[in-house]
Amino acid sequence: MANKISTDLIRGHTDTIILNILRQGDSYGYQIFKTIIDLSNQQYELKEATLYTAFRRLEKEGLIVSYWGDETQGGRRKYYRIAEDGLARYEQNKKDWEFAKSVLNKLIKGGVEKDEA
Amino acid sequence: MKRNRSLDDKVRNYLNRLFAGVGESQQLFDLKEELTINLKEKIRDYEKHGMGEEEAFKEAISSMGDLSGLVDDMREVGKDSAREAVYTSMAERISTAGLIVGILIILFGILTMAMLYFMEVPLVSVTGPGIFIVIGGAILTYSFLARETKNKYAMNKIRATLYALAVGLILFSLYTATSSGVATGEMFIAISSFMVFFIAGVGVFLGLIFTGSNRNK
Repeated sequence: MANKISTDLIRGHTDTIILNILRQGDSYGYQIFKTIIDLSNQQYELKEATLYTAFRRLEKEGLIVSYWGDETQGGRRKYYRIAEDGLARYEQNKKDWEFAKSVLNKLIKGGVEKDEA
Repeated sequence: MKRNRSLDDKVRNYLNRLFAGVGESQQLFDLKEELTINLKEKIRDYEKHGMGEEEAFKEAISSMGDLSGLVDDMREVGKDSAREAVYTSMAERISTAGLIVGILIILFGILTMAMLYFMEVPLVSVTGPGIFIVIGGAILTYSFLARETKNKYAMNKIRATLYALAVGLILFSLYTATSSGVATGEMFIAISSFMVFFIAGVGVFLGLIFTGSNRNK
């Protein structure tokens, strides 16, 4: 990982990243952790500490719901499922991201045209 | 299997130390369970990639990041549950009183019946105090179920009341059967009055059993 994504940059998107994974199927803590690494092509790892804090926040806001799996061996896993509100939030966040991305692109890369008056 | 055991203990010990001094709560219990199983899976993965158990354990822990926010969060929840504990102990006291009162009423019923029996009054009068056993039994059932124990959470009040009703109906059916049977000397009257309440009681009971949820901790 020669290039790193700053924590500041990703912080605002943690929830959207989790919602994106859960909208494609229920999952549990460690699996979500691994999925994020895979989705980034091993370029980014979201710390578990951040992940579990986000689960609690998202559940409190009613965006995701949790339930215990029925594994019989080695203890039960706690699964998360996206709620209706979570799906709506995801769509909204995605739109916001598209918009922000295009504006930021212009701001960061755009050339300033000097007005020769 | 021995190895699993020790890893399990290691992870649990680590989490207990991490959350040491945080007030007990259902949420803390659940979070520890969740972290335990996910950590164990992560350690297994590291081991698959060639790490020794000790190394895998240390790596899994240190790569979790800063958990202090989560600990603080749990500490807040724990404070709330300390406040709840006042209420819980109140509910527990009511339940304890219920257990005692229930048992005393039942004893009173049994002893009065025994006394009447030896007073050589007609048998019909002997069965009368049996009603105390019915009432005591229902109170006992409620108090027992509405109690939080070390391994089980308390049953909710409505279900506990329904269970008490079921037990009460079944006991009452026995009571009416004996008293009407003794009064008339006819078995068929005993059975007919028995079955009305017994069937109702069993009905409530079955309904409860099929809708039950697991209260195990």
